[in-house]
Amino acid sequence: MFDKESGLLQGTVELLVLKTLSWGPMHGYGVASWIETVTSDALRVEEGSLYPALYRMAQKGWISAEWGLSENNRKAKYYRLTGEGRRQLRKQMSGWQRFAAAVDAAITSTVAPSWSR
Amino acid sequence: MKEPRKLPFIPGKPAAEVESELRFHLEHRIQANIAAGMTPDEARQAAVERFGDVEGVREECARLLTADRRTQRRRDWLDDFRQDLRFAARSAVGAPMFSLLAIVTLALGIGANAAVFGVVKSVLLNSLPYEDAGSLMRIRTPIKALGDEVGSVSAGTLSDLRERQRSFTTFGAWLSERDAIYDPGDMPQIVKTQWVEPSLFSTLGVRFIVGNNFREEDAGRDTAFVTVIPWKTWQTTFGGVPDVVGKQVRLNNIDRTVVGVLPRDFVMPEGDADYFYPMGIAPFMRDPISVRGSHNFGLVGRLKPGISFETADRELRAIGDELEKLYAKDNLGIGMIGQPLRDSIVGDTRTPLIVLLASAALVLLITCANLAGALLSRTISRRKEFAVRVALGAGRGRLVRQLLTESVLLAVAGGIAGVLLAMVLLGTLRSLSLEAIPRYADLSLDTGALIVTFFIALFTGLLFGLGPALSVGKSDPQSSLRDEARGSTESVRTRRLRGGLVAGQIALCLSLLAAAGLLGRSLWEMTHAPLGFSSDRLLTFTVQLPNARYPNATTRGNFHAQFTEQLKALPGVAGVAITSALPTTIANRNGLFVENRPWGPNEPVPFMVTSRVSDDYFAVFGIPVKQGRAFSSADIAGAPPVAVISQEMADRYWPNGDAVGSRFRWGPPNPDQPWTTVVGVAGNVRNSPTALRQEPMMFFPLRQQPFGDTFAVKTSGDPSVLTNAVRTALRGIDPGLPMYRVATMENVVDRGFAARRLPVLLMMGFGVLALLVSSVGIYAMFANMATAREREFGVRMALGSSRGAVASLVLQQGGVWMALGLILGAAGVFTTTRLIRSQLFGVGELDLLAIGAAVVVLLGCAGLALLVPVRKATRVDPITVLR
Repeated sequence: MFDKESGLLQGTVELLVLKTLSWGPMHGYGVASWIETVTSDALRVEEGSLYPALYRMAQKGWISAEWGLSENNRKAKYYRLTGEGRRQLRKQMSGWQRFAAAVDAAITSTVAPSWSR
Repeated sequence: MKEPRKLPFIPGKPAAEVESELRFHLEHRIQANIAAGMTPDEARQAAVERFGDVEGVREECARLLTADRRTQRRRDWLDDFRQDLRFAARSAVGAPMFSLLAIVTLALGIGANAAVFGVVKSVLLNSLPYEDAGSLMRIRTPIKALGDEVGSVSAGTLSDLRERQRSFTTFGAWLSERDAIYDPGDMPQIVKTQWVEPSLFSTLGVRFIVGNNFREEDAGRDTAFVTVIPWKTWQTTFGGVPDVVGKQVRLNNIDRTVVGVLPRDFVMPEGDADYFYPMGIAPFMRDPISVRGSHNFGLVGRLKPGISFETADRELRAIGDELEKLYAKDNLGIGMIGQPLRDSIVGDTRTPLIVLLASAALVLLITCANLAGALLSRTISRRKEFAVRVALGAGRGRLVRQLLTESVLLAVAGGIAGVLLAMVLLGTLRSLSLEAIPRYADLSLDTGALIVTFFIALFTGLLFGLGPALSVGKSDPQSSLRDEARGSTESVRTRRLRGGLVAGQIALCLSLLAAAGLLGRSLWEMTHAPLGFSSDRLLTFTVQLPNARYPNATTRGNFHAQFTEQLKALPGVAGVAITSALPTTIANRNGLFVENRPWGPNEPVPFMVTSRVSDDYFAVFGIPVKQGRAFSSADIAGAPPVAVISQEMADRYWPNGDAVGSRFRWGPPNPDQPWTTVVGVAGNVRNSPTALRQEPMMFFPLRQQPFGDTFAVKTSGDPSVLTNAVRTALRGIDPGLPMYRVATMENVVDRGFAARRLPVLLMMGFGVLALLVSSVGIYAMFANMATAREREFGVRMALGSSRGAVASLVLQQGGVWMALGLILGAAGVFTTTRLIRSQLFGVGELDLLAIGAAVVVLLGCAGLALLVPVRKATRVDPITVLR
């Protein structure tokens, strides 16, 4: 889903995971499924690449892992947002919005550059 | 999303954890696919396709998780450590008296070790200030007749050695230091000079900091008046100016030009000088008598690469044996050996240093045993605290770690204080600048020594913390909690542990005390054994007569006579003697050839301590003339040569008592030398105050051999008061003559003991320290024992037991451990006394007085220490304790 070929930045993956987990603790499969659902499968790539990202984020202390029972009573590894993770989410969200707005402003601009006149 | 039900987090193997997580993902995806209408096979394939590289992801995740776990563990450990440390600090502050006492004891123990280690490191471990010092060898000639005495090398031997040997690349020879008069124009001073071969500095690999070494051609006699100066002379006399090369300096009325400055850390392999002169051995080779007869040259050689000390030593011995056969007349009984340069410089200092190092280690061990005991008591009184912690879920391992952290914290605090103490001690030692310590030793604590000290502290903390910590680990919280409620008695285990610790302290302390006692008694014997002369009320000093102004026997004789007259005229002067060297400091030895008693082919020439003395010498020093006469004004140059010999010499070579009137020759064998007649036999004088051996001595009249410049003035009062009057008298005769080495004879003798006294005093200091610490340990054991059995004693007394019976109960219980300590101590005494055997003087290795004194002192202190607790036990009030 987020491998290098997809052209998505590592930071984008992390932002999406953080956003997903802001709803509550979830296992890796749930995170992948949720992202696919809300993005209407637009970012659909290999799901496996999600896991290294989760482990890296756990190492950075943004999310923590614990074992729990899934909806159908299977043992599953759940990820939960930490305080640091929440801070990261806020930071990255506003960063993304500024970035997106800037790119948007550029590509929807109707003012031609001076050299084209 | 609702909260999932939590499962306990049990960290498994990272690979297994990743595997189970990925499988969970894939299975869910397969199920979702089946729900969407795929066949199971299609569903599986689609799931894997959508997941991507399962194998790669699994490996990467396992790697990430492993790394994460590792940092996590480290973080947890640090957190625990920080917590332990905080707790340890709090509990140390909570018991300030205990902590303070522990830190002070540790500071003494660790400080003593750090200081001694600092000395040992500087003397025995640091590299010598020469390039590749490991391949330098000192070459000496053992004089077989003098036992362990080693002599220097003759010019002939040196030249033969250079031709025959194959082990060395270069050699450098030198002569022993001589005094010279340095005259800057206003105030003449005495300085020390040494003649050295130009090759000496290059053999040692010295890098000159200013200028250069002598050139080979400077070595010819009187061809170049040049000098090399050490750093100290450069700084003091030349003010450290960079353009010192080419400057002139007037020594013994000769102007010499400075050509080079030696580096700051340079030391001569032997001797010490303010100015070095170049010499070659060619002129010495031309003198047919002294060429092989005068063994004057110190010698070092640099080994060829790959040649071992042993190989070189074997070759030197072989060459020595060859020369002994070839030149039997001069070399009979003289061998040749090689010795690593460090061994030759460190010399006699090694054994005392190792003894001191061992003693310091013993003190530290005693400290450890003592603190282990003290900590044990503290642990017992904190048993309830630990039991509560265990009951609340603290692991045993965690508790043990906690206690070890506490003891190590104390030890490190003690270590820091100890290092400060050691620095003070080393500073004191440096300021004493003892002759016993080689001059290259800087006596400082460098990084290496500090690291060693830190590990000593760490190890100490673990050592004394381990016993108590383990005793906690083993205890049962339930019984502790219950027990505590009822007032406690010590468990058998802890009682044994404590008893063992006390026994250990007594054993170590006894060993140390016995060694200190033996060394102390040796020192006493040494300083009190009769020297054979009286050092009472004697002022001694040296006046060197420069050759330029006092070129011959007549001028010297005149000066001696005139100055003696003036000195005798001073108020308070009872007598004046002149000699070539003061008693106990004579270095000069000469061969002996008795008339009508030629030495056999296998009889080495014996060497006699030789001194030139004035007529009044024997009277002034109170040396009895037992047969014949002392010298008189008739024994002048031109009159038949005469000698006074010591009783020892007379007994050895004229055992029938017919010494007086007999004749001998001396020095290098020379058939042209006139016979010297023995005119008197004097009492024996010990030449080495630190050895009991009586060396044979011969005295010659100063009138016939006017080479003596040391004066001894017998006074009726305090000799040092006379110094100024003597100086004025000398200036009246010749204002250009400096008077130096001014000291009372008692100081001169005393200086001979200084090297021996310091280690003995330190040893005794260690002994006292050990005694104090062990006494505290013994006190603590009895005090704890008495307190622990207070209730029992109360019951016994209530049932009619007498105070004496209770006291004997306490004594019996503790006495067993003390007896065990004494038995172990006997083994320790046996070991330590063997170690110090070579340091003993006039006492046997198992001297009953010294060892008995050690036992008595130890038992006395132990008795004092147990008095209070035993008394306390007998004063137990049955009513109070039973209530």
